[in-house]
Amino acid sequence: MLKHWYQAKKIIASENKKNIEIDTSNVKKYDVIVVGAGPAGASAAYFMAKQGIDVLLLERGPFPGAKICGGTSLIAEHTHKLFPNFWDECHCERIVMQQAYWIMTEDSLLSTSFQSLKLAAAPYNRFTVKRRVLYQWLVDKAISAGATFQCNYKVTEVLFDGSQAIGVQIAPPQKKQFLADIIVLADGANSMVAEKSNLVPRVSPQNISLYVKETISLPASIIEERFQLACGYGSVIGLLGYPTAGFNGTSSIHTFQDSININVGMTISDFSTSGIRPYELLSRIKKHPFIQPFLAGGTVVEYGASVIPEGGYYAIPEIVHPGLMIIGDAASLVNGTHGINLAMWSGFFASQAAYESKKTRDFSAKKLFLYRTLLDESFVMQDLKANAKIAKLQRDLPYLFDLYSKIAAETAFQISKVYTMPKKAKRIFIFKKITSMQPLLKMASDIWKVIKVVRG
Amino acid sequence: MNQLEDQLAVICFQPDEDWQHVMILDEVICQKCKTKQCLTFCPSSVFHESIEAKQPIMVLYKQCVECGGCRLICDNIDFSYPRGGYGVTFLEG
Repeated sequence: MLKHWYQAKKIIASENKKNIEIDTSNVKKYDVIVVGAGPAGASAAYFMAKQGIDVLLLERGPFPGAKICGGTSLIAEHTHKLFPNFWDECHCERIVMQQAYWIMTEDSLLSTSFQSLKLAAAPYNRFTVKRRVLYQWLVDKAISAGATFQCNYKVTEVLFDGSQAIGVQIAPPQKKQFLADIIVLADGANSMVAEKSNLVPRVSPQNISLYVKETISLPASIIEERFQLACGYGSVIGLLGYPTAGFNGTSSIHTFQDSININVGMTISDFSTSGIRPYELLSRIKKHPFIQPFLAGGTVVEYGASVIPEGGYYAIPEIVHPGLMIIGDAASLVNGTHGINLAMWSGFFASQAAYESKKTRDFSAKKLFLYRTLLDESFVMQDLKANAKIAKLQRDLPYLFDLYSKIAAETAFQISKVYTMPKKAKRIFIFKKITSMQPLLKMASDIWKVIKVVRG
Repeated sequence: MNQLEDQLAVICFQPDEDWQHVMILDEVICQKCKTKQCLTFCPSSVFHESIEAKQPIMVLYKQCVECGGCRLICDNIDFSYPRGGYGVTFLEG
């Protein structure tokens, strides 16, 4: 039996060896291979194909957007500059007219909400979209511009000639190799291709957040009634405090055409060390007395989880390598609630660098560094730099969201509550109440730390 | 537990019968592991405690939603994405 096992192992070993050999004889060579058909990859492929570059777009799912979930809002101006009047082409769920933050404790809800007709007219501000629809639209654009698209192709690693990236290896059952002058990695937050190819270090669990979501279907008229929206308009609500059970993290509600997306997330290290089960955290929010009425009567049509890089500016790895660029979430280009728009812009900048590179037939890291330069000069990096210290602040003040949402809710309660005591005594009472939750000096130091981060 | 089963029931899966994409590298490490963070961390409860002492963690890879978080919390978990076309399919965004 041992002999059989040994023989079997030998066959596998020799097969593996065969894999690594690069057979260039009957392999078509592309100008660029883009790994991952998300907003970053599809935008890169589109702008490359538009400039006459022969580009191959690979996706491991059965269709674009099959492997990712979570409520999404698309920033209009950022997208409009890349894809003029995209709202005429891409099916958007609702035009976001109301943006709100709900600061919550277990029995209270302090809401700051803004709605305006100015947000409801062209050129708009934000749209809620379904990822599948958005990604498919981008891929269709890339295909019609001349890109080749393949789904169900999972890339396992990058092929190198020395340190120069020259192609990609596809996992079984296709077991193919594709060759190209430039490889663009757009394989998302958990970028295993780059890590396996030793291009970037493993992400720290402190710099990546796990989000769980539920899509709850409700008739459009009921959604509009409950959120007080006009027909076709939507709201995006950020929930702070209670949803993350004492940790720093966020939760949000997105309204779609006939469903509501509710999600919650915090860093992977917080989830793992606290022992909180992600789905229990989500159902805890759904049971909150002020959230429940919004979801009542709806049926859960989908549950899901995905990760988002939240390490900010300092977590961005080396994104330009000889013959290779890393874009989108794989490059950790996420800034607070901005992710898809930054991904699309990074795809656009990568396409510019690829074009210059192709023109001069120079595929070195030095030439492709144009991508990084364009990124640095744009709002993408400037904004990321401005928010660079937020990730560290959240680590330094692990009580930030929880304590201050409690203080805010308590203050709001005491102000709302009418006592028989004189007004002056009440003010002193409120002051004492707040300072009993966090001493004045400590609060001042926290506020100073926050101001320092905001000022950059 | 029931609640998660309901949640998993509405997800569209295309399980790969021939290849397991999440695996435990070394059972001995799991036997000694005191925290077993994988049991609570996984959003779709892929990891279950098993009564067998030799193989303390059961891996139900077919219900994996492919967030890939497990590989970051434990070096003993070998996670890679399923083969092309297999695994979870999200339809609702």
